[in-house]
Amino acid sequence: MDHTEIKVNDMPEWLLKNENYIPSADKDTFVNKSILSVFKVLSRIKKQDSAGETAFQINVPLKVFGTLVLILLVSLTRSFVFVIIVNVWLLAVLSMTDTTRMIVILKLSMGITFFTAIIMLPAFVLGNTYSSIMITTKVFATITAMGLLSHSTKWSALTQALKRFYLPDIFIFILDITIKYIYMLGEFSLNMFYALKLRSVGKNRGKYSSMAGIAGTVFLQSKEMAEDMYHAMECRGFTGEYHMNDKSMFKWRDYLYIGIIAVFFTLFIYFGKV
Amino acid sequence: MIELKDVCFSYSDMIALDHINLSIKTGEAIALMGANGCGKSTLLKLLNGIISPDSGSYGFHGEEVTHEKLQDEKFSKHLHQKIGFVFQNSDTQLFCSSVYDEVAFGPKQMGVAESEVEHRVNDCLALLGIQEFRNRIPYHLSGGEKRKVAIACVLSLNPEVLVLDEPMNGLDPKTQRWLVDFLKKLNKAGKTLITSTHNLELVHEISNRAVLFGESHTIVADMVTEELLTDVELLKRVNLVDSCYQYKV
Repeated sequence: MDHTEIKVNDMPEWLLKNENYIPSADKDTFVNKSILSVFKVLSRIKKQDSAGETAFQINVPLKVFGTLVLILLVSLTRSFVFVIIVNVWLLAVLSMTDTTRMIVILKLSMGITFFTAIIMLPAFVLGNTYSSIMITTKVFATITAMGLLSHSTKWSALTQALKRFYLPDIFIFILDITIKYIYMLGEFSLNMFYALKLRSVGKNRGKYSSMAGIAGTVFLQSKEMAEDMYHAMECRGFTGEYHMNDKSMFKWRDYLYIGIIAVFFTLFIYFGKV
Repeated sequence: MIELKDVCFSYSDMIALDHINLSIKTGEAIALMGANGCGKSTLLKLLNGIISPDSGSYGFHGEEVTHEKLQDEKFSKHLHQKIGFVFQNSDTQLFCSSVYDEVAFGPKQMGVAESEVEHRVNDCLALLGIQEFRNRIPYHLSGGEKRKVAIACVLSLNPEVLVLDEPMNGLDPKTQRWLVDFLKKLNKAGKTLITSTHNLELVHEISNRAVLFGESHTIVADMVTEELLTDVELLKRVNLVDSCYQYKV
């Protein structure tokens, strides 16, 4: 780096002096909380990258189908024993997952079950005990089944599986792009929050207008990205058809899974008749 | 001025900085170099107090910067005033409705008198040659103009250290040359510069010392920039250049 020909004469005087600044107290809780919540969403999406790497490497379309069948059976059954069997099975599967995942799934299902129980409380008090317990247990089973599916499968694999169920291409495409853009715009807004935090060196009286500015910029950015993607898709000859390259074959654990679903179906019919 | 001792940082289970030792003196111009994903941007975030080390220590002007201290609003605001950060994507840094408001954002918060704010903004706009954009909406400016506005925003805070993340990215050659000259001026004026860059043609102009990161997220070299640029084998080893690379003075 050569300094010989560089002049600092055109630099303003205040820039040449060291700033003797002592910041006054101000609360940045709103910005900090926003950073934390965006960060949480982003890490959750990032974690989804490794979601498929569990012990249960079951064919994803089969897993989606199995979960839907299980939820359907739980919803239709009038047998409390059947719901309990399903719950025991789901908890057994849950116990085989890693601790972090288990805690996340349990937190979600327990939370929702708790709120269902509160809603059912008047019915329970007024004597309708069977239905209130039944509905609450069914909710637990449904949420746990969905939690297991979403936490053990990559989102990209889930949308890919939808193609097997003959869902319209445009629907799958929008789902795929939505997940991608939640992440990209999330990262963009996270950096904006960081910038706001770094530039908020004193008492910011217009915190909410700065937040509105961030929201506006993210909106403009998303519009720009959407336009760019539209043009890119046109240039790449997109015709509205969404191709998936899925050559996955059924393995022994897939056949085992089919067997388990068949057993549940048999139990559903058996307990329905009892 | 800045002292990093044995600093480690990881994102969940992914190591980003592995036992980093670095000392930066006031008025130095340093370039951080390395292949993509080697930890440069993480180090810049750490220096700016966006993140704090998992282990090791980060000292600024002899005072340790810890996670607990960064929770203290007064401390973190003081640090943010002393160290200005120019983001790689200027769009993320601009959120006000006019260029004037953007540049005045910092000084207004510092409790500077209105006339002094006006004076500072005018100076910054003139320094960066963007007076005519004063009332324009930042989002509608070109890439180079946005970069200039982003630098003006940071400069109006009069920081001691200027941290720049890939400042040459997406700029045309003329603007790149202008930026190089401007950074030289700032360094000459006493500002400490820490620049992360991949631009091997201009790096020796904006720095006199280069810190090279390896793919193992450690510092593999810390030497005079020109010496580093001539060590082709080392640059190849860290995956920064290939056999086509030739250093031209």
